Amino acid sequence: MDNFDIPLVPGGYSRDDFAKLQIFEKILKGNVEGIIITGTCGNIEWVNNAFSALTGYTKDDVLGKNLSFLFAGAKNVHKAMCQKLNEVNHQEAENWICHKEGGRFLAKVTLSAVRSDADMITHHVVEFSNITEFRHAQDELARRTKELSRSNQELEQFAYVASHDLQEPLRMVASYTQLIAQRYRGKLDKDADEFIGYAVDGAIRMQAIINDLLALSRVNTRTTAFARTDTKMALDKALANLRLVIEETGANIICGALPVLNADSSQLTQLFQNLISNALKFRGSNSPCVQAGAELQGGEWVFHVCDNGIGIAPEYFERIFLMFQRLHSKQEYPGTGMGLTICKKIVDHHGGRIWVKSEPGKGASFYFTIPAALKEDL
Amino acid sequence: MNINSLGRPADFLLVEDNPGDVRLTQEALKSHKVQNNLHVATDGEEAMAFLRRQGKYANAPRPDIILLDLNLPRKDGREVLAEIKSDPNLKAIPVVIITSSEAEQDVVKSYNLNANCYITKPVNLDQFIKVVQSINDFWFTIVKLPSNPQ
Repeated sequence: MDNFDIPLVPGGYSRDDFAKLQIFEKILKGNVEGIIITGTCGNIEWVNNAFSALTGYTKDDVLGKNLSFLFAGAKNVHKAMCQKLNEVNHQEAENWICHKEGGRFLAKVTLSAVRSDADMITHHVVEFSNITEFRHAQDELARRTKELSRSNQELEQFAYVASHDLQEPLRMVASYTQLIAQRYRGKLDKDADEFIGYAVDGAIRMQAIINDLLALSRVNTRTTAFARTDTKMALDKALANLRLVIEETGANIICGALPVLNADSSQLTQLFQNLISNALKFRGSNSPCVQAGAELQGGEWVFHVCDNGIGIAPEYFERIFLMFQRLHSKQEYPGTGMGLTICKKIVDHHGGRIWVKSEPGKGASFYFTIPAALKEDL
Repeated sequence: MNINSLGRPADFLLVEDNPGDVRLTQEALKSHKVQNNLHVATDGEEAMAFLRRQGKYANAPRPDIILLDLNLPRKDGREVLAEIKSDPNLKAIPVVIITSSEAEQDVVKSYNLNANCYITKPVNLDQFIKVVQSINDFWFTIVKLPSNPQ
């Protein structure tokens, strides 16, 4: 048979066969991918509608021609693929296909063999689709990933410079003003003591800020891949780190059940530690009580850390997550104003949200979400 | 005056390019009860010359302990550490890295190069003094060192 037009010979097929053939033809003709049927030498015997739409060539333009003219600079590739068909029934490759109007596009091409009952190859079937946009998207993604990686590296370097080079002169200022204060105590006047006190205090606060800035920058630059994390263990580690403060303040920490999920364990520890440290720091006159737990709600785990401390006024609910924002003077409560900023960055990094509910004088409840894992088997 | 476990003043080699830190270390060691002599090299080349008793250091004593900063001009502290710990005549000398860097990569690299320990210089003066005095206490009243080094 050398053409596929369904012959109108009623006697040759049963009505059902005829109906089936019509359906098959419609399916092939209307297929989203371009389809070419050739003989074993590659001469085109049939093309579908998508072929014409993708290449600009009509059926009449190409019938009888060898399909190698369609493939830009890939004559041998096609030949090689055809040869391989003797061993493997199915070949896939990416080729440039020439459009009738002169341009060309990148296509994913599949070459298959049609075999007779005697297992001889009678025809080749070529299916192809235009992957130009897909390839552009891939290239763009690769370019952005490279850019992001470079940007992260720069940040890491900056963080290292800040950590080392800034602290050196800082130490000199702090150490020698303290040395002067100690060495000349009583020999200088009271003003001198006061002035030196401010200088030392400034240097020490600068140190704390630099450390916190570093911690903030490291949330995104120094990450480990998410892994199975027992959030109870992350919380326990945070509590261990805060052991002294917990003892000193006589704090009571209550933990509910906590899930296992996909996360960065050390970042979660930092997150819990900052929240609980705040809960203890901003305690009221009562001995502090902190409750931590989590609930599964609509595909995400909602964690809470609630305290009975001094609380926060609603107008500050958003502000407290910004950098260097403090609601008290440093005499009242120490701190750099970065703790919650780091918390927010960690939660963002995990694809979650963080917010607070509170009333002045009635404690504060911090909530954050982490998406639950897609798989059940964690 | 406490004599340390060596029975004589300990010889410290401090490798540090910042004169402010040199002076602070001097002050810290001076005020301490345990007796010691402080020798100073201000860059990596000078440190190696001292250790190898070259040139003007021909009569230098073999230090009982080396306090080594990491970021030094000419020869970097990490190179000095590597050289000391790969030299059969020098590698037994305890090397205490004392640097402003807190960077994890520096900590890891130093221990991999066989530093005896790694200390980050405290910002607070009192703590700095305490740290230097602790080094003195630990290595010369608690730790046992070889009694007859070459």
